[in-house]
Amino acid sequence: MSHLKINRVEKNYGAFHAVKGVSLEVEEGEFVVMVGPSGCGKSTLLRCIAGLEPITSGTITVGDHDITRAEPWDRGVAMVFQNYALYPHMTVRDNMGFALKVAGRPKAEIRAAVDKAAQTLRITEHLDKKPKALSGGQKQRVAIGRAITRAPEVFLFDEPLSNLDAALRSQMRVELGRLHNQLGATMIYVTHDQTEAMTMASRIVVLNGGVIEQVGTPLELYNKPESLFVAGFLGSPRMNFFDGRVLESRGRELSVEIPGMPGPVVVPLDDDVPVPQPGAQVRMGVRPEAVTLGGALELSVALVESLGRETLLYLEGGGLRTVDSESAEGFVAVQLPSQHQLRVGEPVKVGWDPASLYLFDDSGRRLATPDPGVPGRVWAGGGWNRPQGRARRGPTRLWRARRPGAGAG
Amino acid sequence: MTHFAPRFRIVQALLYGFVGLWSAFVLMPVAWMIFAAFKTRREIFTDPLGLPGQWTFDSFRRAWGVGLGQFMFNSVVVTTSAVLIILLVSGLAAYVIARSRSVWMKLLYLLIVAGFAVPNNAVIVPLYQMVTAADFGNSHFGIVWVYAAYGIPFTTILFFAFFLDFPRELEEAARLDGCRPWAVFFRVVMPLSGPAIASAAIFQAVFIWNEFLLALLLLTQPDKKTLPVGILQLQGEFTSDWPAVMAGLSIATLPIILLFLILQRSFVRSLAGLGK
Ligand SMILES: Nc1ncnc2c1ncn2[C@@H]1O[C@H](COP(=O)(O)OP(=O)(O)OP(=O)(O)O)[C@@H](O)[C@H]1O
Ligand SMILES: [Mg+2]
Repeated sequence: MSHLKINRVEKNYGAFHAVKGVSLEVEEGEFVVMVGPSGCGKSTLLRCIAGLEPITSGTITVGDHDITRAEPWDRGVAMVFQNYALYPHMTVRDNMGFALKVAGRPKAEIRAAVDKAAQTLRITEHLDKKPKALSGGQKQRVAIGRAITRAPEVFLFDEPLSNLDAALRSQMRVELGRLHNQLGATMIYVTHDQTEAMTMASRIVVLNGGVIEQVGTPLELYNKPESLFVAGFLGSPRMNFFDGRVLESRGRELSVEIPGMPGPVVVPLDDDVPVPQPGAQVRMGVRPEAVTLGGALELSVALVESLGRETLLYLEGGGLRTVDSESAEGFVAVQLPSQHQLRVGEPVKVGWDPASLYLFDDSGRRLATPDPGVPGRVWAGGGWNRPQGRARRGPTRLWRARRPGAGAG
Repeated sequence: MTHFAPRFRIVQALLYGFVGLWSAFVLMPVAWMIFAAFKTRREIFTDPLGLPGQWTFDSFRRAWGVGLGQFMFNSVVVTTSAVLIILLVSGLAAYVIARSRSVWMKLLYLLIVAGFAVPNNAVIVPLYQMVTAADFGNSHFGIVWVYAAYGIPFTTILFFAFFLDFPRELEEAARLDGCRPWAVFFRVVMPLSGPAIASAAIFQAVFIWNEFLLALLLLTQPDKKTLPVGILQLQGEFTSDWPAVMAGLSIATLPIILLFLILQRSFVRSLAGLGK
């Protein structure tokens, strides 16, 4: 049975609908990450779960308890805020023990709980300081410690690491993961950071405009996005999108005409979608890491970003333009897993495996994805059936496996 | 010390000069009061502006002998109780109004602002009638409520502004930590409102400590009088004993200076807008 159950929750601020009928079930011990563009209602949904905002309609249950109308202090929910929200007038110890003190627990018990949490978070030596005297990372640990000592049913995190620098963020990310394993607690985590989402989540919830676009494991979402929005949202650099038109269909293979492309592109359709009519507008997507050097497409280098471990190329090519992608100029983004000495203006030939293509219809619904799990799409050349679908290699090309989505956040 | 470029040093000197002049202007009467307290009864007329010839505490002794101790005690009781009531009532009222989304609360706030605009002396006759009709004349209990009623509107406005800017997340964290609204207010909001409390306490304490007209009307029994009225009585008995009057006033000033010294850090912070 699911632990936290959100059923058709709506939240209106006056005439503005911030959350429009969201339903979600979270299992006990799950780590659910919520992502979505700014203003899509992530914080609002979190605050509704915490009871800080009354919801307009719907129900929320934790375990067997309907907490829809319960006050925040009765919900068994702890929240960690982006800017820590530590009580400045209390020491770290008092901050962490505050909830237990308010609940009227004996001093010895509070002490023990605080000491244990402090040990887990490695802040024992700071227990007698005031929050003012702590660094950002330490403050964040105290904020997490304040949640832990209460032993809540559900932890809520609202962008807890976004005020930290990159190094500290990746360190805290690892610690949070460890903490989640150690406590086995149910956690809901809001973030803007793709790396956090991909690496920490047991499931990712993609919110857009107050509705859930898709829920799934990180790789499900990455490999088989249900909509154009999810496809574009996960992955950095973004997927390259090209607008095109269906020429004809042969069985479950579609031939698509894309302006600027030398010939029609053949895309194998997913099995569970209707075959579009010839003439229909479609949008084709290809991940930057699925583009390889040495294909039939001739483009020229517009920009090179050498990151050491990998090289990002932005290619420019006559009439071929990407839409709604990483670069506003319509460049094709290519991510090469090795170092390359290329100069701006230099011509390069690129290509991709048709099996790595994504296709969406004109309302943004999925038509084709490189999902390894769909029957009939298993490639003899290997790669698709590897564990976790990591290798994204076509039948003929050499391809180095790469962790999906591990870009800058 | 900040290092200024030459051009700014001139500006700095000008500013210091201005502040110095202003301070002298403000402190002159205070200094005169203290010097006069040490003079003899004759000296105050023969040499009103000079330093006292001999530093004697005689006038202080005379002033104290009239019962200044009792007046001071009365003033402390009245001021402390009134300020405490003002802080508690205004704090709670301002918090509720600042956090409420109801239109009626906004209306209530407007009424409170309007109450602040009522000139104190305009209502003094009906107030006197009400207090005596309620049989609260000549009682500290009675005048404390009157003072509180005078002080609450202004203090509510002051707290309201402060609470509007109070970080909401701290209150939300407290609610999630198990605090009911009362606990949020007394355990988190109040302890962090030091600057607002200090400013309100000083403003109100000074006003009540020095308040003369109401005290004169409502407290006629000698053992109930507060300092300002008590010192007046001293003036009546010793028609020409100005040094004693000045000594009494000097003594009356001390507790307020003391209060200010205790609270000044928070007070200055809040006036400078750094109270958060
Ligand atoms: N108290 C409020 N009154 C009116 N509108 C609000 C209120 N709080 C949030 N909103 C609106 O609700 C929408 C969702 O806000 P929310 O804070 O949940 O976004 P978010 O997804 O957390 O964004 P971000 O990633 O920037 O934090 C926004 O358009 C915001 O303007
Ligand atoms: Mg937010």
